[in-house]
Amino acid sequence: MSDIQSALRERARELLEDGKVEYVIGWESARGEDKTRPAFIRKAEDAGRLVWNRFCVNSTAKYLLHDRWPKGKIAVCARGCDTRAINRMLSDGQIKRENVYILGIPCEGVENKICQRCAHRNPLVYDELLGESVEEKTDFDRFANVREMQEMTLEQRRKMWEDEFTKCIRCYACRNVCPACSCRECYADQYRTGWQGKQFNSVENRVYGLTRAYHVGDRCIECGECERVCPMDLPIMLQTGKMLMQCNELFGDYECGLSADEIPALGTYNLNDADSFG
Amino acid sequence: MPVNKKWMPKILAFCCNWCTYTGADLAGLNRMKYPADVRVLRVPCSSRVNPQFVLRAFQKGCDGVMVCGCHPGDCHYTSGNYYTRRRFMVLKEMLEFNGIEPERFQTRWISGSEAAKFRDTVAEVSELVTKLGPNTVFNERRAENV
Repeated sequence: MSDIQSALRERARELLEDGKVEYVIGWESARGEDKTRPAFIRKAEDAGRLVWNRFCVNSTAKYLLHDRWPKGKIAVCARGCDTRAINRMLSDGQIKRENVYILGIPCEGVENKICQRCAHRNPLVYDELLGESVEEKTDFDRFANVREMQEMTLEQRRKMWEDEFTKCIRCYACRNVCPACSCRECYADQYRTGWQGKQFNSVENRVYGLTRAYHVGDRCIECGECERVCPMDLPIMLQTGKMLMQCNELFGDYECGLSADEIPALGTYNLNDADSFG
Repeated sequence: MPVNKKWMPKILAFCCNWCTYTGADLAGLNRMKYPADVRVLRVPCSSRVNPQFVLRAFQKGCDGVMVCGCHPGDCHYTSGNYYTRRRFMVLKEMLEFNGIEPERFQTRWISGSEAAKFRDTVAEVSELVTKLGPNTVFNERRAENV
């Protein structure tokens, strides 16, 4: 890992010195050894602040949406999941490939439980790869937790979601961090359209949870950021996971963010689709 | 004074203008009898129905929701109902995953000539929903009482 870190600092410095990029998005240590935060490096002499270790949990890709018309290129340190997020935003037409310079980082998993179910540890798209690519994991079931939950009875599931969403404080952190959420004005923020009530109760919370999952579900790249940032530890990925599992079962093998020109499952159709309408 | 009214299910039916609504109209013309629990809401195409409309209906107190459109291949707008099909097959599963009985959300293809199918569907859904009783999941009125 430290090899990658030194390579990363080196390359960031070179890129900034040559003026090839405007700034570099990466991670830096903060509040102790075991924590990091996203870093935005604009000066070559600051490149030494960049770190790469197993505490680099934040997704760097979403920050590209905060600067849609940059003056120069933005260099972004990207793990497998970050490159999928970049593909997501490229295929949604949110960012331009020529504005981004991707420093790919092969990742063996960070301090995030979703990494146990990660099938793409190597960056899928990059301008340069730092370090050797790592072996991909294949010995796991993507939807194990969803299947587990489907074993429950309807009543148990209802009770469980009721309990979970009673905890939700509607901070919308799950939305803010999601690379698939790119609406300029979120339906949850519109107060006169009546899509989403502002009352603070379990029903509104559940409607928010389900609607959010449905909005992003067929475009979810399974980075697990929503679940990581949730201050109340709601199992949000179960909802999007269920959505993806359904798309897999109904419309064939389906995984998002693998290329920049994919079409989301619900944005297209096939004449021979499964049909359960009566 | 409390009025002791018998509970009747409230069912919302989204009907596509070109097929199902015409079918429902034909059912009326033929003086067919079906339960009065259903409220027909006309939409230009079944793909006009945003899945959030369905959620909103449950939230506002509907006990059952139906989404009906033209048979595949018959869409007035060529491909609308293919999108509907994908959307609502996924939504159905999502609702069940969230604890709503699958019987409460029904999807049907009903053409303009299938008045009898419309009648039978409404009768069937009404019976199923009556058996299940009032919907509590997502119902905001219940939330106010809690």
